Amino acid sequence: MAEVVQTTRTSLREGRIGSSVSRKEDDRLLRGEGRFTDDVEPGHCLHMAVGRCPFPHARILSIDVSQAVALEGVEDVLVGSDVVSRSDPISVLRPVADAPDLGFYAMATDVAVFEGHPVVSVVAVSRHVAEDAIGLIDVDYEPLPHVFDVESAMDPRSPVLHPRVLKSNLLVKRLTGAGDPEARLAEADVVVEERFSINRVSPLPMETRAIVAEWQAGARELTVRHSTQVPHLVRKQLAESLRLEDGAVRVIATDVGGGFGLKLGIYPEDVLACLHAMRARRPVKWVEDRIEFFRASTHGRESVHSVRVGARSDGQITGMFDAYAVDSGGYNSPMGSPQLTSHMFTGPYRVNDAGTEHSVILTNKAPVGAYRGYGQPESCFVRELLIDRLACRLGRDRVELRAQNMLHSQDMPWQSTSGATYDSGDYEACLRMAAQAIGYEEHVKRGRGPGTDGRYTGVGLASFVERTGYASSKFLARRGSRFGAHESVTLRANRSGGVDVYNGVSTFGVGTETSFAQIVADVIGIDFDSVRVHLGDTGASPLNTGGFASRTLIASAGALRQAAEELRAKILRIGAFMLDSDPEDAVISRGVVCLRDDPNACLPLAEVYDRAIINQGMPPGEEPGLESGAQFEPEAAAYGYGTAAARVSVDPETGDFDVERFVMVHDCGTPVNPVLIDGQVLGGLAQGYGQAVMEELRYDEETGQLINGTMMDYFMPTAADLPEIELQHTFVKSPVTPFGVRGVGEVGTVPGCATIASAICDALADFGVEINRLPLSPESVWRALNQAKASREVRS
Amino acid sequence: MKSAPFTYVRPASVEEALHVLDEQAGAARILAGGQSLVPMLQMRLMQLDALVDINRLPGLDEVRAAGAETIFGPLVRYATIERLPLVAERLPLLQCVMRFVGDPQIRNRGTIGGSLAQADPTGEVPLSCLALDATIVAASVSGTREILIDDFLVSSYTTALEPGEMITEIRFPLAPHHFAFLERNRKHNDFAVVNVAVVGRRGSDGGWSDLRIALGGVSDRVVLAVESAALLEGTTLEEDAIAQAAQLALDVIDPPTDVRGTAEYRRHLVPVYVRRALSKLRDDHEPFDA
Amino acid sequence: MPERVEVTISVNGRKHRRQVEPRMHLADFLRHELGLTGTHIGCEQGVCGNCTVLVDGQAVKSCLMFAAQADGQRVTTVESLAEEELHPLQQAFKDAHALQCGYCTPGFLMAAAAIAAEGRRPSREELREELSGVICRCTGYENILIAVERYLEDRGEVEAVGG
Ligand SMILES: Cc1cc2nc3c(=O)[nH]c(=O)nc-3n(C[C@H](O)[C@H](O)[C@H](O)COP(=O)(O)OP(=O)(O)OC[C@H]3O[C@@H](n4cnc5c(N)ncnc54)[C@H](O)[C@@H]3O)c2cc1C
Repeated sequence: MAEVVQTTRTSLREGRIGSSVSRKEDDRLLRGEGRFTDDVEPGHCLHMAVGRCPFPHARILSIDVSQAVALEGVEDVLVGSDVVSRSDPISVLRPVADAPDLGFYAMATDVAVFEGHPVVSVVAVSRHVAEDAIGLIDVDYEPLPHVFDVESAMDPRSPVLHPRVLKSNLLVKRLTGAGDPEARLAEADVVVEERFSINRVSPLPMETRAIVAEWQAGARELTVRHSTQVPHLVRKQLAESLRLEDGAVRVIATDVGGGFGLKLGIYPEDVLACLHAMRARRPVKWVEDRIEFFRASTHGRESVHSVRVGARSDGQITGMFDAYAVDSGGYNSPMGSPQLTSHMFTGPYRVNDAGTEHSVILTNKAPVGAYRGYGQPESCFVRELLIDRLACRLGRDRVELRAQNMLHSQDMPWQSTSGATYDSGDYEACLRMAAQAIGYEEHVKRGRGPGTDGRYTGVGLASFVERTGYASSKFLARRGSRFGAHESVTLRANRSGGVDVYNGVSTFGVGTETSFAQIVADVIGIDFDSVRVHLGDTGASPLNTGGFASRTLIASAGALRQAAEELRAKILRIGAFMLDSDPEDAVISRGVVCLRDDPNACLPLAEVYDRAIINQGMPPGEEPGLESGAQFEPEAAAYGYGTAAARVSVDPETGDFDVERFVMVHDCGTPVNPVLIDGQVLGGLAQGYGQAVMEELRYDEETGQLINGTMMDYFMPTAADLPEIELQHTFVKSPVTPFGVRGVGEVGTVPGCATIASAICDALADFGVEINRLPLSPESVWRALNQAKASREVRS
Repeated sequence: MKSAPFTYVRPASVEEALHVLDEQAGAARILAGGQSLVPMLQMRLMQLDALVDINRLPGLDEVRAAGAETIFGPLVRYATIERLPLVAERLPLLQCVMRFVGDPQIRNRGTIGGSLAQADPTGEVPLSCLALDATIVAASVSGTREILIDDFLVSSYTTALEPGEMITEIRFPLAPHHFAFLERNRKHNDFAVVNVAVVGRRGSDGGWSDLRIALGGVSDRVVLAVESAALLEGTTLEEDAIAQAAQLALDVIDPPTDVRGTAEYRRHLVPVYVRRALSKLRDDHEPFDA
Repeated sequence: MPERVEVTISVNGRKHRRQVEPRMHLADFLRHELGLTGTHIGCEQGVCGNCTVLVDGQAVKSCLMFAAQADGQRVTTVESLAEEELHPLQQAFKDAHALQCGYCTPGFLMAAAAIAAEGRRPSREELREELSGVICRCTGYENILIAVERYLEDRGEVEAVGG
């Protein structure tokens, strides 16, 4: 049986593991005294503006910068040829396995492949003047035919985006899976088959990307303040592109205003700002504005799926297959396109014969990168809607059909057809709890309506399993990854009695400073307040990987525990020696070391630390100093899971719908800080909700230009748009992670689209409505209704 | 996203403002609430030589009753309209729609004159001014003129104002007390997919008169469904009549397709929303005007 | 040389006189002229509201107002709230875990301060509307609503901010 964490909150000590201590980050942020990248401005700083291609695909015939150069206040101008001669292409951190390297530079050279592709950059005394200068630059473009979507991209008559490397716009096609899904589907009693489209969205952190680059020519040293989730990877990538030693680059990411996957690795503008700083020998700042953001920061998702599920007439699912194509945009961005769709395709169900065919296709749109969920909302959407339809075809109850096919805790560890090893969990418990909470049975009894107001009511459900963290570097190596899997930490006791934690992740909202301090305080046995966490400076932290893939806590917890245990042992050895006793008889309690049997024999920790640091009166053979370091590489990913449920009402005349309730039941393993966990899940759900009902980046098929690249036209939920969310947790320890934690950073994004779509389809089931594309707008629901009515008429 | 350079002028009087506008011959604009103009400047969708900031001009932010008429200065802000008892009493529709414009910060700045000059085809202010049959008073160095709202609104973001003209007053005649307003948005208080404002007077016999039906988001400007209203004149707004009027509203629309909705969907929504607004008008209020 | 105008703006009770380009918006002025970097810029289109400050006591988006327009006016920013201790409104945010990355937080604090200054106590539904002019991407708003609601409830006689 799975081990369930006991969470009687009374037993929790403030600031230890399991306590909802308030965050270390909060005070400075609340006072407006955080240090975001744009908050720092070195003296004599120049400001960069970037000129971008207005077309989706164009040849650059000539660039005339003479008027810009002549403008007062302009200090430097770069065009593609400068960039090619002075830098190397930007490396892809997470290539799709087997995909060729497209080798993209920080600027378009002869051909720009999406609207927003940088073609020229300027630094000047102010951002205003830099933008004035961009306006004076004359670029002569020859617009080329463009590729709009994955379908047209594969048309042999379509232009090929990267003819030097590829023969078509297919970057790579991969088959994954196990068993013989085709055979199972062929012999199944029932097969349901659908085509689904997932919308292209923006991760949209409130702080856009930003960089301040300072080049100290004499020392050949580049210091970069950067809004990133991965300072050490940024350092590596910048050094590579700029042809510098890694050691010549220091990256500092203090406060980061949200990341969500968008701030992983470097972007062209980062290289440009550094090149300008190196040439102008003055600091250069670039803060992306929102107009550039929509065109040049990576987008998330967008894929087209052809999915099949086969089952026996008794409801047992026997085979599943998803052939899907991801629209990757103009090139393969450093984090590539989402890669967990195939990994999580079968979700919580016991299926032995399943597979995916995953195509990554290039189009003349902004590159797609990582976005919270990284492919998992997609697989949840297509799978769960298809299971609803299977239930409908079989005349089965949706909850019972799911329960029948779900894996049980005694089946685990269980290897899915994609090779994912589910560690532990009680999937059905979450399903039942969610059904109970949303009033599923009452709804089935009461029926869908219409109510007196003419509206129909529907209940939707979606179950999922989510990968959190990822397995070892060996796993990554097979996929060509350019980053590792380990996290590292240095702990340092200081003479005033505190402990400093140094780690290379940055602070981007997930409460890392707080949860790290909780673990260190807990393991050593010291006060939470005496732990200070220093993050995000490559010059002051051991090399690590970074904050993404819901891995920060999972991977760092191991390193923190190891380093804290080492430090604790040494404190006890020195303390016991000072108290004329043995380490086994000494304990650390709050600010002191004392003897277990004689609480009066007590020493302030500051004294112990002082001894060690000045190396006076130490036990024989003890090394000076009081510092420990550890590296930790997780051996396995932990798999989070849960079920979400929603109740909606729909106006069949207009398609207008209202999400009246939204319930999420989720397992978070051992909760390090329950309040922070709720915060992560709620935030993720809001993003999932946005993707489900309003967010979509739309390109004009004709012109290839972004239609809604402003905050005004990209619809993002406000406080008045979201339903109240009811959250419940279960606490099944993961056997494969330190402390039994599961990641919680991304889970909220996973079930939203599927749940709401499922609810709307349920509400309109009497009309035969099926919804296959996102986002769900009143108009799209109205269209689905019309289509359902039309096809009924054809049938009858 | 920084504006191109411009000269900033803060005139001491309306006359001075008009002189600057005249001198600059089209290269200057009035800066009122700035909630439409400033984003456009910052996106460099517009470049101007000069901005004439009227925010400090005395007296432009007042609302007063003059007999049956209610007269607004151009600088009356949405937040003021939202709260002013005089507006609630005389022009309840205008007050009601304010809650649907942007958000509290926008409403603290945005002005009735700016919104009319902006002439957004979905704008709640132009929509209710059309329903309430407002008259715009425009001044220039060569004098003032009165423009009926229906003549004032020309097309998307285009009005009958000449480059040297400034709105100095908005006048509302006595308004029928009954109104209904409905709006459909893609997200909270976003620019409307469609919106409908109706006003009318119910007599002691239950018959309706002075009906006006204004529609937003369905053409290159907010439009009046004149025939629909005429059809209902004198009726008690029974279902059949409403349905017929709603259908007739299709004659006055020519909806656009944009990120908020397709023309086809808007065309579908119009009769539905007109019907619902008229039913609401009939059902929501006291039996007849006091 | 670009044309400049002189402005005198009182910010958090202190007068500042500067020569600015007319095209400099108030958010840039606060951040880059005065070093008050607590006011954050999220879109410069008036949508995200992260740059919300009070001008003469009213919440406005400081990216949609030029510094020149604030000449002679009183501006209140997030930096005015805390003294030694956090302001009770900030404490309410901390207690309710109403912030994650913290970038939008000053906008919410100032929008809430404006409500408090007017002595209003909106219902939960009204509050959703009242705070709809600030966009947060991290929290899902739930905890922000709770924090503001609790603060407005607990406030009692405590003096309003920003007035
Ligand atoms: C986030 C956001 C949401 C919004 N949502 C809505 C919404 O839901 N509905 C809606 O209708 N609007 C909305 N708006 C726009 C808002 O209503 C603007 O305030 C309005 O369109 C313009 O009014 P203003 O006073 O701000 O004018 P300004 O922006 O100052 O000026 C707009 C135009 O009018 C001209 N002008 C201003 N005053 C005069 C005058 N007296 N005489 C002649 N010309 C003049 C200006 O020169 C300029 O061309 C929104 C704006 C934002 C930023």
